[in-house]
Amino acid sequence: MALDYPIHEKTLANGLRVIVSPDTTVPNVTVNLWVNVGSRHEAPGRTGFAHLFEHLMFQGSRNVASGEHFTRLMAEGGRLNATTWFDRTNYFETVPKGAYELALWMEADRHGYLLDAVNQANLDNQRDVVKEEKRQRYDNVPYGNALIDTYAAVFPPEHPYHHPTIGSMEDLDAASLEDVHAFFRRHYGPNNTVLTLVGDLTPEEGFDAAERYFGELPASAEPRRDNHDQLSPITEPVRFERHDQVPNDRLHMAFRLPVDNTDDYFAASLALDVIGGLTTSRLVQRLVRREQVANAVQAHSMGFVDGVSLGFIVLDIADGQDPDVVESRALEELERFAHEGPTDVEMESALAQAERSWLHSLASQEERADAISQHTLLHGDPQFINTYLDRLTAVTGEQVKAAASTWLRPQNRAVVAHLVATEEEAA
Amino acid sequence: MSARPEVVPPQPWAFPEPQRHTLDNGIALLAYDIPGQYVISVRTVLPLPLTVEPRELEGIATITARLLDEGTARHTSEEFAELLERKGIALGAGMSDSGLSVDLDVPKRRLAEALDLLQQALGEAVFPEAEVTRHVRTRLAEIEQERAMAPHRAAREFIATFFDSDDRASRPSAGTTQTVSAITREAIVDFHRRFIGPQGMTVVVAGDLSGVDVTALAGEVLGQWRTEGQEVAEPSTAPPARAADATRIVLVDRPGSVQSELSVGCAGPDRRVEGGWAAYPVLAFVVGGSPNARVDAVLREEKGYTYGIRSGFRPRRRGGLFLTNGSVRADSTVESVKLLLGILDGARDGFSDNEVRSGVDFISKTAPGRFATADAVADEAASLALEGLTTQFTTDNLLAMQSLDSDALVEAYQRWVDGQWTVVIVGDASLYADELKTLSRGDVTVVPN
Repeated sequence: MALDYPIHEKTLANGLRVIVSPDTTVPNVTVNLWVNVGSRHEAPGRTGFAHLFEHLMFQGSRNVASGEHFTRLMAEGGRLNATTWFDRTNYFETVPKGAYELALWMEADRHGYLLDAVNQANLDNQRDVVKEEKRQRYDNVPYGNALIDTYAAVFPPEHPYHHPTIGSMEDLDAASLEDVHAFFRRHYGPNNTVLTLVGDLTPEEGFDAAERYFGELPASAEPRRDNHDQLSPITEPVRFERHDQVPNDRLHMAFRLPVDNTDDYFAASLALDVIGGLTTSRLVQRLVRREQVANAVQAHSMGFVDGVSLGFIVLDIADGQDPDVVESRALEELERFAHEGPTDVEMESALAQAERSWLHSLASQEERADAISQHTLLHGDPQFINTYLDRLTAVTGEQVKAAASTWLRPQNRAVVAHLVATEEEAA
Repeated sequence: MSARPEVVPPQPWAFPEPQRHTLDNGIALLAYDIPGQYVISVRTVLPLPLTVEPRELEGIATITARLLDEGTARHTSEEFAELLERKGIALGAGMSDSGLSVDLDVPKRRLAEALDLLQQALGEAVFPEAEVTRHVRTRLAEIEQERAMAPHRAAREFIATFFDSDDRASRPSAGTTQTVSAITREAIVDFHRRFIGPQGMTVVVAGDLSGVDVTALAGEVLGQWRTEGQEVAEPSTAPPARAADATRIVLVDRPGSVQSELSVGCAGPDRRVEGGWAAYPVLAFVVGGSPNARVDAVLREEKGYTYGIRSGFRPRRRGGLFLTNGSVRADSTVESVKLLLGILDGARDGFSDNEVRSGVDFISKTAPGRFATADAVADEAASLALEGLTTQFTTDNLLAMQSLDSDALVEAYQRWVDGQWTVVIVGDASLYADELKTLSRGDVTVVPN
């Protein structure tokens, strides 16, 4: 279906790209900022720093007290947070219309004048909080390290995606106040940022407010390096095993993919849907429904910009089944798919599910604003939310087959195996 | 920087009004037209207390729900899955302590086909033997996964400790290894025949309904569904029974655990509580609803012991729980428990006007955004329908919230919080079992993971 969400864009003199998308269905405004810095920009020995830095953005700035960003905006009816990922960091709040200028003012204060307030006590406290976040999300969870192991297995050691955004405990310990200052000066500034406003406001109101609060900030961020060249697929299988106290064996079978926002990436992601992502995918039909050797199968693709994306299939091995046997059957299906390509029904299904999923994500102002910021910052394409479905629908079965043949063959895989520890290993 | 901008207060807001209709077979239809929401959310709910399950087959309601789309009179399991998938339909079904839910999301132009498939799932499911076997096995694997995940393990131990062991509420709603293993196709067919039918059912349809005659569409399929002999089970009229020895500390032992998962709670209200429900979401926010609420102001922002701990009131059809959950660094466990219980008990002493105002404003002013999408509207309407309420409750509750003051909050809090806490800790018991006894918060028991 043709989408026509309004998109108005303007670049301020200091380089801030501003997008306004009016939507009067709810009396709210979403303020969404994407900064072009993520864990891919981290220096050796400082993994996890981009994320730790994001936490410090809530600990006060020149005119905002520590913690006030949360308390003030929540008390005005705001829902807000921030996240850090390989490619970028985002900051966002959805507030009643009458509070959006306050939100912009507070964002401008921390995006311009964070260093006035940051101090050793805040750094130490948030370092502890982030370590607990790492323990809660990764270290104290069954299979919690599966994706971290996957990145390390799929991407070369010197590559920006080799290490996870959460970083290592040692590197978090090493982070200093000087690092905070240097990081802010290098990476933060309107010329490295996109601001998207979605909601109950006119383009003029949005642009004027952006100018009013962000206009005085200098274009302080260093220019971005070029993105890395496209990585080739792995040519020999890679395997990493972890023997652990987990309920059952689980395999993450991962692949390098083309960079995001390309027809090749869309084709590869549709191929992964058909192979393992749909409830009627080939692996679900065979391994879960018919042979019942897996409890569940999933497949995901993560689009990145720095020379490669990631695709992976998760095989949750049923009790009493041999993971090597299940893996070999999955490889048969990969090989078969690379030769056959998708059927018409498989293409129809993958596109129908992608359509619902995309429309669902655009249903909320928050996610719409996030998608606009993403594609403006990383791809220079503010209209992406309107054109994506048409582009996806234009992908042919032949292209999907070609993508699978290039990127999703057995020899292109890296397998991370989380296996149930034997009693001797557990002891 | 320019001066800090003033905030202009928002206009009052009310939950969207539905079109109401009763289908020929008695199903209540609620249609919420929300312009611009191109994915339509359909929620089907049937109030059904878990006490209708045979004791030795607990979990049968959940397994029955999960099998509804795994083979019908007209289509095999694989055919049905393909029909859903080709039309871009996402369908899921489950069971809570209030009843059965079947949820469906679909792009607008496919709504008619989706409702037809929904009716087939509800009324024509045939429960093929192979699918029963598979779903039983899947649930058994899921139980082991849940045991491995600290928050799930804590939740299971909490209900086992807090509720009387004779009460259904003390056991997992989706059944245990023993009871799920005993479930047969025959038992499922019988359960479905007895309890799943149009009587008492509500269907919520939310989304951009311009140009769609929902009443006609639903009437043509769901309205034609007939069953014979559907038993309508009366919802429970009393809260589940608390265990006589609920005031104590239970440690679920996981040697080597780097964190301790805490679950702390006591009895709480349901939505029909005397004095009104409005105070409770506000209390949860003020006590443990944000990084700067009372709990995390200390345990996260001051001490750095946790990534975040949250409090919430969890209403059931009758009765409820007041729960606080989160994980802390293993070597801070005793101090964290002590600080946490101190904060929870200390809230009995009162709340500042600023806290009251912030809490009321957060809950009420976020409502337009929280209920902006089709799925959020449908979920709210469906969960209230399971409790025998309508979304007028949501509107009335937001209105009542405006007149809350600190006295009202204290009264509501003291109604439930009396210092008698059930504490469950999942972690390395050897680090702190002895020291926890010195807190004098009841017996300390260690159980295996």
